[in-house]
Amino acid sequence: MDYILLTIVLAPLAGSLIAGLFRNQVGRAGAHWTTIIGVGISCALSFYVFYQYAFNGAPVHNETVYTWMVVDGLRMEIGFLVDRLTAMMMVVVTFVSLMVHIYTIGYMAHEEGYQRFFSYIALFTFSMLMLVMSNNFLQLFFGWEAVGLVSYLLIGFYVKRETAIFANLKAFLVNRVGDFGFILGIAAVAMYMGTLDYYEAFERAPALANATVVVWGDDAWSLMTLICILLFVGAMGKSAQVPLHVWLPDSMEGPTPISALIHAATMVTAGIFMVARMSPLYELSETALSFVLIIGATTAFFMGLIGIIQNDIKRVVAYSTLSQLGYMIAALGASAYAAGLFHLMTHAFFKALLFLAAGSVIIGMHHDQDIRNMGGMRKYMPITHWTFLIGTLALIGFPGFAGFFSKDAIIEAVHFSRIFGSDYAYWLLLSGVFVTALYSFRLYFIVFHGKGPRHFEPHHDVHDENGDAEAQEHHPVHDEPKPHESPWVVTVPLVLLAIPSVVIGYLAIGPMLFGEYFDGTLTVAPIHATLSEIDFHGAAGFILHGLSGPAVYLAAAGALVAWFVYTRKPNIATDLARRFSWIYRVLDSKYGFDSFNQWFFAGGARQLGKVLWQAGDRAFIDGAVVNGSARSVAWLASVTRYLQTGYLYHYAFAIILGLLGLLSWFVIR
Amino acid sequence: MSFEKFLFYLFAVLLLGAAVMVITRRNPVHSVLFLVLAFFNAAGLWMLAEAEFLAIALVLVYVGAVMVLFLFVVMMLDINVAELRAGFVRSAPVALVVAVIMAAELVVVLGPARFGLDSYAAPDRHPADYNNTAELGLALFTQHIYAFEIAAVILLVGIVAAISLTLRRRPETKYLDPASQVGVKAKDRLKIVKMDPEENA
Amino acid sequence: MQYDLISLQPVMPEIFMLGAACLVLVVDLFLTQRTRMWTYGLTLATLLGAIALTAWAAGPERQVLFDGSYVRDPVSDVLKIALLTITVFVMVYARDYLLQRGIYRGEFYTLALFASLGMMIMASAGNFLTVYLGLELLALSMYALVAFDRDSVKGSEAAMKYFVLGALASGLLLYGMSMLYGATGTLNLAAMSEVIAAGKAEETVLVFGLVFVVIGIAFKFGAVPFHMWVPDVYDGAPTAVTLFLGSAPKIAAFALAIRLLADGAGGLSAHWSDMLIILAVASLAIGNIVAIAQTNVKRMLAYSTISHVGFIFLGFVAADGRGYGAALFYTVVYALTAAGGFGLLTILSRKGVDAETLDDLKGLNDRSPWLAGMMLLILFSMAGVPPTVGFFAKLFVLDAVVQVDMVWLAIVAVFFSIIGAYYYLRAIKMMYFDKPIDDHPIVASVDSRVAMSVNGLAVLLLGIFPTALLQACRTAFGG
Repeated sequence: MDYILLTIVLAPLAGSLIAGLFRNQVGRAGAHWTTIIGVGISCALSFYVFYQYAFNGAPVHNETVYTWMVVDGLRMEIGFLVDRLTAMMMVVVTFVSLMVHIYTIGYMAHEEGYQRFFSYIALFTFSMLMLVMSNNFLQLFFGWEAVGLVSYLLIGFYVKRETAIFANLKAFLVNRVGDFGFILGIAAVAMYMGTLDYYEAFERAPALANATVVVWGDDAWSLMTLICILLFVGAMGKSAQVPLHVWLPDSMEGPTPISALIHAATMVTAGIFMVARMSPLYELSETALSFVLIIGATTAFFMGLIGIIQNDIKRVVAYSTLSQLGYMIAALGASAYAAGLFHLMTHAFFKALLFLAAGSVIIGMHHDQDIRNMGGMRKYMPITHWTFLIGTLALIGFPGFAGFFSKDAIIEAVHFSRIFGSDYAYWLLLSGVFVTALYSFRLYFIVFHGKGPRHFEPHHDVHDENGDAEAQEHHPVHDEPKPHESPWVVTVPLVLLAIPSVVIGYLAIGPMLFGEYFDGTLTVAPIHATLSEIDFHGAAGFILHGLSGPAVYLAAAGALVAWFVYTRKPNIATDLARRFSWIYRVLDSKYGFDSFNQWFFAGGARQLGKVLWQAGDRAFIDGAVVNGSARSVAWLASVTRYLQTGYLYHYAFAIILGLLGLLSWFVIR
Repeated sequence: MSFEKFLFYLFAVLLLGAAVMVITRRNPVHSVLFLVLAFFNAAGLWMLAEAEFLAIALVLVYVGAVMVLFLFVVMMLDINVAELRAGFVRSAPVALVVAVIMAAELVVVLGPARFGLDSYAAPDRHPADYNNTAELGLALFTQHIYAFEIAAVILLVGIVAAISLTLRRRPETKYLDPASQVGVKAKDRLKIVKMDPEENA
Repeated sequence: MQYDLISLQPVMPEIFMLGAACLVLVVDLFLTQRTRMWTYGLTLATLLGAIALTAWAAGPERQVLFDGSYVRDPVSDVLKIALLTITVFVMVYARDYLLQRGIYRGEFYTLALFASLGMMIMASAGNFLTVYLGLELLALSMYALVAFDRDSVKGSEAAMKYFVLGALASGLLLYGMSMLYGATGTLNLAAMSEVIAAGKAEETVLVFGLVFVVIGIAFKFGAVPFHMWVPDVYDGAPTAVTLFLGSAPKIAAFALAIRLLADGAGGLSAHWSDMLIILAVASLAIGNIVAIAQTNVKRMLAYSTISHVGFIFLGFVAADGRGYGAALFYTVVYALTAAGGFGLLTILSRKGVDAETLDDLKGLNDRSPWLAGMMLLILFSMAGVPPTVGFFAKLFVLDAVVQVDMVWLAIVAVFFSIIGAYYYLRAIKMMYFDKPIDDHPIVASVDSRVAMSVNGLAVLLLGIFPTALLQACRTAFGG
């Protein structure tokens, strides 16, 4: 088993190193072959491991591979913890990654930095696997930072585009805030539990359930609450929860394949994975759970709203991702970890599908991403259209599709939750279903229905409100050929992802949510066991049960409204936007998070920096300390240099003097 | 004062006196000769300590070989003593101070308080038939065989180092090749050329 | 004792080394300048064979041979393997340089092998005699090597200084040993430590002898104020010799210190650790500060050596297994980086032009990005920048110092390291941001390029995975 796991992790790394370091030697084809083979091996073995755990009941594997160092009894190790949770994540990560690798061959076919791109995404796969397979906090943090790094590199992949650089800097800085909390959380674990190993920490945690610490002033905080919230701050950064969500929409500056892989399917779910993995800790702090629940629900609803008015195809999907991540987080808050993870899995498939299909549309549109220029694409890109529709149905929770099961389970679970904030969360999540359906079908109808792509008609005038420079740059000319279906390397992954988007929910809901799949992996305190209150009689029964609840009808309503507004009476939308212009403005400014950050943090930091620079740096440090010490060091150096005369007898005399000094000091005194 | 004690002090005083003369003489040849005297006295001291073999080795090796060689070198090199002395005089005061302090410390630490007979009892005298040299040989070839071998290696390295630093092949120098000298044949040296007598000279 | 193959197993590496060195000496006589490759090859084979034999004879137990003259224990195993490995690197780097200078002679290899033998003897010395003789074997070979380029006036001068000062230091060391012998009545280090532990020896005399012994050790390491020879000798010697002198003998000096101070005078650690504190702080200060004023790379690296010695001494100051382990780790790591650093200088040197000044490093990245990358790693390691191994070396030493409640010492060390980082970073800046002054293509043989790559990557990999080496160093001291 050890070797299999090591191979799973190292194969993508090897591919990445070959494609990256020897990019000139291997060439473009070499780069994609080495990385695809690496990830392919990893994917195949992950399926094998998954099979062993899911069907053959293999025992939990918790082994240390390498002891990095031991400092004061604190062991820092590299090790693998593989149980069913890990196995599921491994399959999701490697499968989506493999699809994205293949898809990239088509998407990036004419781009520069082809090898670099493959090297990065293979490196990402390695980092993500390190993250999910870790058995200790240190390696978790390594993976956490490594995926963040690759994400940063990929968002800024178009290094010459200013918006991309802005976006990756933003992602980097916002993640620093989250990671700061995260590492404080890890430090608190190490400090109070004296270990970095998961299992040891989980064993010691119950004894500390009532422990308190004084952080500030005289208030005693519950230790577990503190640890959990600090760790969750990390998750908020990585999984883009309010208010640390601002980087995710901007991250769409990166190429579409990575939007699918990193910013939809895998990396952003690391936070959900982490909280689920830490369920033994979270169960000890109801305060932390409430906090998680409220943040998640808030994100789920309010980010969905913004999605309604976006005009960039990728941004719509991005806001939808934010909203869905909110659902997952809310599930965790309601202690329905299994539901959160279940949604994570289904979402990984259908959101990757949506992103890749959107990318396919973008290829068809010659890299124009503005949906107002699109329309009627279903005629030109049938495969893309059908797969996109499947993805959309899965997303809104059409009965029987993957998303239906997971989302319904979450809403039910939150409904049964009795912790503080659960009512608030329930209503937001429920309304979120309507919003989801609305923006999803708005996107679908605008892009695939209606009149043909706008560029192909004369006298168009594109007014880009989002200042999206790319749309302008890639403005196609009239005599370009009509959009046509993308090549097979693009469509095959779409089809392959469409299959699980339809069936995975039906297949997996039984064992994962109500069966024994996560037994022994997730810990749920009896009073929080919301999932077990849902009465479950098979997947088909769940569909019937869903049909009796409000969520399905809300989704249908959303879809209908979208159909009516955006295909029948397009002027309703503009009318509404005019009449309720203040709402529109609030949404358009994304509730002002960005401008607030720009003004307060960026501006404030700059002001502070300026003051510190002039008063502290220039006057004090440069003037007195740096130049002063540099001067004195230089002076000292030049003086001592003269002692080195080059005369032998001086040297000998120095030895004698040294002898005399030591003798007098140690013997005679 | 026993005769032995008298001999000890005699040798010791002569040794120190000779040592002082070595570093104060103007003429380097005199210095070398005083050094020879110092060695003789040291050998005498060792003799008193029953280290006969070492005493004889000191005289044979140092006086007999090393010092004679040294004398040759000193006589062949033209050393400008005056120049050396100038530096000596200039640094003498500082050196003197350091030396005096050092000597004082040595006396304090190594004086009779710590090295007297009560802390180190005098060893027993060996009988007249005791063979010092044989004992030394036994110790060297059993107990200290490893060190002995290393010392041999050091000598080998000394030879290699000396040769590597001094041996040069000058292209202009002519060398004899004994092998070809021995292997020479008569016909290589003497060639008989038959000529017809010249007619009508 | 019985002398047969089985009981001699622990000492096999030394026996093999001696035999092979003599073989190389004889074989070389029959070679011409064109076939001298054989000498080189045989030398490498000898070193590798000695490594293999050492590994074969290695084990966790302590074996004593020749009436206590010879000791084989995990410490000696680690030390021998480390110093022989470093010597392999040195031999590979040196060849090109010697060829270009026209001093590619067999004696270089013979002397180097004998020097390595001397170091091995020191590494497993069990009494004063073997310590001293091993030291002299090393020193004598080194004197000859420093003067190896006979036409170089600088080289001869350096050798002369080294020889005279070395003789003085040896004299002091020997005097100190005689005092310890006088006080304890034994030459055997293990027996001596028992006598000291039993309190049967006069303490003042012991400390008196100890001062001389510490000075002898400090001289070999090149600690302030016994460091004066270091810059002059490093500068004067041919770069290939500086490379040797600056790397492997540091491990031998560590052996000297560990045998004499820890094995022999362990009971006096309260005294010698105070002495080492003084020497360490002085070395850190002088080494780092004076290095800044240097324009000559070899001199700069010489002062950098002095500052690193300060760190090694800090490990000794703790006087426990943890500290010794940290110091050993530091020494091995330093020897590895020093070999790489000087090795690069030999690669940069061309016929008639020695790469000596900092200007020669300018624009290295333009001339050879790969070599510049390796040098970057090596300089980072010397400066102690993570993730290179130099960071961990410093960390472990500081950890050991902090563990024995000498936080102020750790702060002093860190302070001077920061000053030291300046000149390493300046060299890096020159490599990457300045225009090259010399734009001759860099000629280096395949083997030295490979060795350089292995060396540089080892610095990085050991930094990412320091445990194996650390474990070897720690378990050697039972920690």
